[in-house]
Amino acid sequence: MSATKKLTIARAMAESLAQEMRADPNVFVMGEDIAQLGGVFGNTRGLLKEFGEERVRDTPISETAFIGAGVGAAMDGMRPVVELMFVDFFGVCFDAIYNSMAKNIYFSGGHSTVPMVIMASTGGGYSDAGQHSQCLYGTFAHLPGMKVVAPSNAYDAKGLMTAAIRDNSPVIYLFHKGLQGMGWLGTEPAAISQVPEENYELEIGKAKTVVEGQDITIVSIGIGVHHALKAAQELEKDNINVEVIDLRSLVPLDRDHIISSVKKTGRLLVVDEDYHSFGVSGEIIASVTEHDHHMLKTPPCRITFPDIPIPFSRPMEEWALPSTENIINTCSKMMESK
Amino acid sequence: MTKAITIPMDLWEEDEEAVLTAWLVDNNSEVSTGQLLAEVMVEKISYEIHSTYDGTISITCQEDDVVNKGSIIAEVS
Repeated sequence: MSATKKLTIARAMAESLAQEMRADPNVFVMGEDIAQLGGVFGNTRGLLKEFGEERVRDTPISETAFIGAGVGAAMDGMRPVVELMFVDFFGVCFDAIYNSMAKNIYFSGGHSTVPMVIMASTGGGYSDAGQHSQCLYGTFAHLPGMKVVAPSNAYDAKGLMTAAIRDNSPVIYLFHKGLQGMGWLGTEPAAISQVPEENYELEIGKAKTVVEGQDITIVSIGIGVHHALKAAQELEKDNINVEVIDLRSLVPLDRDHIISSVKKTGRLLVVDEDYHSFGVSGEIIASVTEHDHHMLKTPPCRITFPDIPIPFSRPMEEWALPSTENIINTCSKMMESK
Repeated sequence: MTKAITIPMDLWEEDEEAVLTAWLVDNNSEVSTGQLLAEVMVEKISYEIHSTYDGTISITCQEDDVVNKGSIIAEVS
């Protein structure tokens, strides 16, 4: 076991990037405010100083141009890590993402890989309104050709970033602003974790059971995992033992892990900060029910963001966001119905 | 003898309040001079707090607490 130190997700991401850049001269980073500033979410801090402007590139505010440039560089043998500062900005660069980045390996008959990482911040909770607060997990996970990961703590953040950079498929790396340890979004202490100094990969597509329990399986990702963990502590006082699964990756989705947990508990609750309809929560519930709906003792439930643009007003946004309290109430109700 | 870890008076220019955003060491762990201990944020800019002593740290200021220049955030003994 190598030495460890306590890191925020932001620092864990930067550490993985630096280690991969030292090991492989083809790895480079670009995006808005990622060089001089070190990223508005702190995840590229220190890279400019060590690697210089050739490999750590501040771009103009044109996602259309620099995401497209990333795809070209990746097809030409580089391993670009490109930041889309807020995932909400995907609209102006989605052609490059889903028509080029995701599909070119197929279009070229497997001859041209696109080993590119897009890292993008997700999530709300701090009144940044409808075009700076979305998760859009389902939007990316829906389209074939890209892996999609979202860490909930610094250990996973480093291992997933390393795996994403080394992967020959394009990877969408979604980090929640509320977990970065960046202050203006609040701090989630449980996201700051001990991280090995040596580099390591966390296999993409593997979920993790964070807490074991017999009564209800809660499946979540990103900040929802922390809401679920807090709910689990409260529910234990009422003798309700929930099992919390951190998906860590959406594509590939670790369906076997979810199914084997629901087999044990017989109850499924999905907590997802993305929109309610046509998304991650529906996919997880469908995956379980189409496997064997007799496993379920109660109808599956989901706590998600309602199908409305995210409000600027703080009380309205807080009403809409998944919370520990919602999870506790839903779990209690699920245990009442036999 | 207990020594205080304080926020340096010259860490940022103006006199705004800061928020302690992250502890990067555990309470009651061993720290050494120069080691990165914590981060504070002022107006969306993050600053690092390093240890000025060797010893065992006792954290007195929690994450999300508001701090100022000169605030004591921990003690080292």
